[in-house]
Amino acid sequence: MNLVLVEHTEGAPTDVSLQALALAAGLGGETHALLIGPGAVEAAATVPVAVAHVAEHPSLQAFAPDAWASIICTLAERLGASAVIAPGSGPATDAMARAAVRLGEPLAANVTAITPGSPLLLTRVRWGGSLLEEARLHSGRALLTVAPHSVAALAPAAPGSVETLTPELADADLVVQVRDRVAPPAGGVSLADAKVVVTGGRGVGSAEGFAPVEELAALLGGAVGCSRAVTMSGWRPHTDQVGQTGNKIAPDIYIACGVSGATQHIAGTKGAKRILAVNTDPEAPIMSVADYAVIGDLHEVLPAVSAELRRRRG
Amino acid sequence: MTTAASALALVAVLAAAGIVFGRRALLLVNLVRAGKPVQRFDDLPARVRSEAVVVLGQKKLFQRLVPGLIHAFIFWGFLVLFPTIVMAMIGAVSKGHSIPWLGSQGWFAFLVDLFCVLVLVGVAGAFWIRKVQKPERFKGSHKGEADLILLWIAGIVLSLLLWHASRIALGLNEYPAGWSPLANAISNAFGTGTTTEALERAFVWAHLLLVLGFLAYLPHSKHLHIMTAAVNVWFGRTRARGRLEPLDFTIEDESAMRFGSNTIADMTWKQMVDTMSCTECGRCQDVCPAYATGKELSPKLLIMGLRDQLFAEGPSLLSGADFQPSPLVPNAVSDEVVWDCVTCGACVQECPVAIEHVDHIVDLRRHLVMVEGRFPSEGETMLRDVERSQNPWGKPQAERADWTEGLGVRVLQPGEPPPEVLYWVGCAASFDERARVTAQSTAKLMQAAGVDFAILGPRECCTGDPARRMGNEYTYQSYAQQNVATMNEAGVTKIVASCPHCFNTLANEYPDFGGRYEVVHHTELLTQLLEEGRLQPAAGTEEITYHDSCYLARHNDVLAAPRAIVSRIGRPLEMARSGKRTFCCGAGGAHMWLEERGNQINEERAREAAETGASTLAVACPFCTIMLDDGARQNGSELRVADVATLLAEAMGEGETPVTA
Repeated sequence: MNLVLVEHTEGAPTDVSLQALALAAGLGGETHALLIGPGAVEAAATVPVAVAHVAEHPSLQAFAPDAWASIICTLAERLGASAVIAPGSGPATDAMARAAVRLGEPLAANVTAITPGSPLLLTRVRWGGSLLEEARLHSGRALLTVAPHSVAALAPAAPGSVETLTPELADADLVVQVRDRVAPPAGGVSLADAKVVVTGGRGVGSAEGFAPVEELAALLGGAVGCSRAVTMSGWRPHTDQVGQTGNKIAPDIYIACGVSGATQHIAGTKGAKRILAVNTDPEAPIMSVADYAVIGDLHEVLPAVSAELRRRRG
Repeated sequence: MTTAASALALVAVLAAAGIVFGRRALLLVNLVRAGKPVQRFDDLPARVRSEAVVVLGQKKLFQRLVPGLIHAFIFWGFLVLFPTIVMAMIGAVSKGHSIPWLGSQGWFAFLVDLFCVLVLVGVAGAFWIRKVQKPERFKGSHKGEADLILLWIAGIVLSLLLWHASRIALGLNEYPAGWSPLANAISNAFGTGTTTEALERAFVWAHLLLVLGFLAYLPHSKHLHIMTAAVNVWFGRTRARGRLEPLDFTIEDESAMRFGSNTIADMTWKQMVDTMSCTECGRCQDVCPAYATGKELSPKLLIMGLRDQLFAEGPSLLSGADFQPSPLVPNAVSDEVVWDCVTCGACVQECPVAIEHVDHIVDLRRHLVMVEGRFPSEGETMLRDVERSQNPWGKPQAERADWTEGLGVRVLQPGEPPPEVLYWVGCAASFDERARVTAQSTAKLMQAAGVDFAILGPRECCTGDPARRMGNEYTYQSYAQQNVATMNEAGVTKIVASCPHCFNTLANEYPDFGGRYEVVHHTELLTQLLEEGRLQPAAGTEEITYHDSCYLARHNDVLAAPRAIVSRIGRPLEMARSGKRTFCCGAGGAHMWLEERGNQINEERAREAAETGASTLAVACPFCTIMLDDGARQNGSELRVADVATLLAEAMGEGETPVTA
């Protein structure tokens, strides 16, 4: 039989968990599910397995990867599960890695297909999605995570039965816990998602020189970026850098101010639909990729554009 | 002591020293025998030559004159004084005897006397360097151990001198005493009585005990290099220093396949001898561009870290039990160290004992990248773009020949007869705005000289070099096979390459994949055209300093050709670090596509170039062009950075090529 770790939100199993169940079904044999944490009982009602095990413990209000690992190991051993399968989400992968260490077994992450047998034949995603690996898994108990959205999910349905268990947890199992969740700062637009990106390059001249760039970005509801030269000069943090080794952007309009347009920078702007360059040098490489250009000093051009925007908006 | 008793005592100390030495030596030999295979048994004449030049001639050590002389005195002294160990053994047993013939030779006595002095001068000089000069390169070395070894050597030589002096005082010398002036002079301090006889015994036994004690101590210390250095030099690279050893992915038995180095069990035997040869002199650390700009990497500490782990886990590994050696990264060296390296090879060039640091780094990267997928995240874009777009910037392959617009360069189509020379443009010169100028200049010059050439256009792909230097051997090999297939099918025999990285790969690494071509760098071809009078540039007065690219100068010995061009068109000025001891621009080893942490290597180099007073910095590599141009701008310098080919084209009156400011 196979045990599937099922994650859930708002009293329902997650989509990726239902995908993990689909992959488990392909292994043959009976499937059991394990649900942990607040809302597990409600969620268990729609998990299509023979038996849904719900782990209840006062210390399981917050995600604790070692506690999850402990529960996974204990249940897998008790049931004699030949495979333990989990969705390839962050928390589930974390817990499975710890379970693998406890069991002394290998963990195959990001699996997309399984051929039953001994050893199991697996296909798994490697290299950030650019390679598929065919692997043979030699282990006493197969531990797998499923690559999200690579398998069609099972439809939610009632389980054969629901069993509640109360795990025994050691203090050490609760050392790592989620204590707090912090939302990304509101108001700012991330470079990767912004519809408008305004970047400054060496031509901005200083950290203070970014004021007109920031002003224009704010007026357009866009994000501020910079070139590598700016990061190297310490004017802005690396998190603002656009280019090959920084952020890749895909805005509707990309306004490049005082940016020469080195290849390493342009490599990060391939997704931009339109490029407007503001530069004093008509020969700068940025001109060869720009759709529009203003030949002029950004410190004169940008304040004028901002002023005009304000005037029109009244 | 009677003769028999002395003989017994000698046998006893010999056996004791032999056992202590032998047990350790056996462990080291067994470790090396367990190392992974690497082909280093070919090229006999070159190995004999490097043994003569690098070991006997101390060539690498003489790259620094004073420390080189100091070491040469001690090393040559060790060779010259070697027979005196046997003489002392004979003398210890029977004081009236020595080595037949040699023991009575005046010239040999003179040599011994002379080298006793030179060794002592060497030891004193070494102490002066260590205690007075205190160079940075010893940072992290075992300095106390070095002091002990130096004192030990001084003790060995002093006891030998005193023994000789006492023998002369007693008239035991078989050679005329005048041949050893120093021992003779000291002998005047001794009488001829029983005290001197007792002292003579004491000196010879003190000398023997020091020598044998040293022998027993050697393999347990960093001074092991006395035994291993000559071996390591013998098995060092004999040609094509820029070539990396390919991994074999075609082995039937997958468990025997090697994906770089994870643990000591994955190291090749040469890599193991490397670590045993390091004597912590720090010359590598001194020239490392990463170390010089404050990075964590020190090539010396890298090798020491690997050595410490090899020695710590080696015995368990050899025991054959179920021992799991621990990963080298991060136990022996940190992840940061592995990624700091620009593979410039300055450390390898500098190392007097032929340690090949870059091979260690690349093997560590191979494991991290291919097995663990663990590398600086910004490098992923490059690796993905190389895989998907055939170039590291992810540009459309269809635009590869766009730089030729208006130049009328022939793009070789399938089935067409091959040109005399294939121009391998490379990704940088094909796509990068600044590097394109080089390609345009080179093409114009070849046209002006009437060279029959063509390019592959969209059929040219990345050579795979950046992926390979980053550790992704899979991607590299698939490109190697694809490019070799394209060129073999096209009947290519001669290639001119603009990029030293492409040049190195095409010339040194593609033969491993069945691609054997005559490969030249564009500066070599242009120099030939100048010599043949096919190009007639105007002489100029501009002061130009030339920056040697690591992959051109250090890895491939191309030094004269670019300088020949520079001196035809301007007034050359040399930087302090030039030729084979050049300083990297910071882009090698895939660093063109990685973020540098801390001080910038390119700014440091651009500063050095500006300090020559030259107005132009000539380069011969597209990455050097980009990096140093960025560095000069970042420094706020007026220095103009341009490829040698661009400068030559301008001197030919072909300067209308757009040059980006």
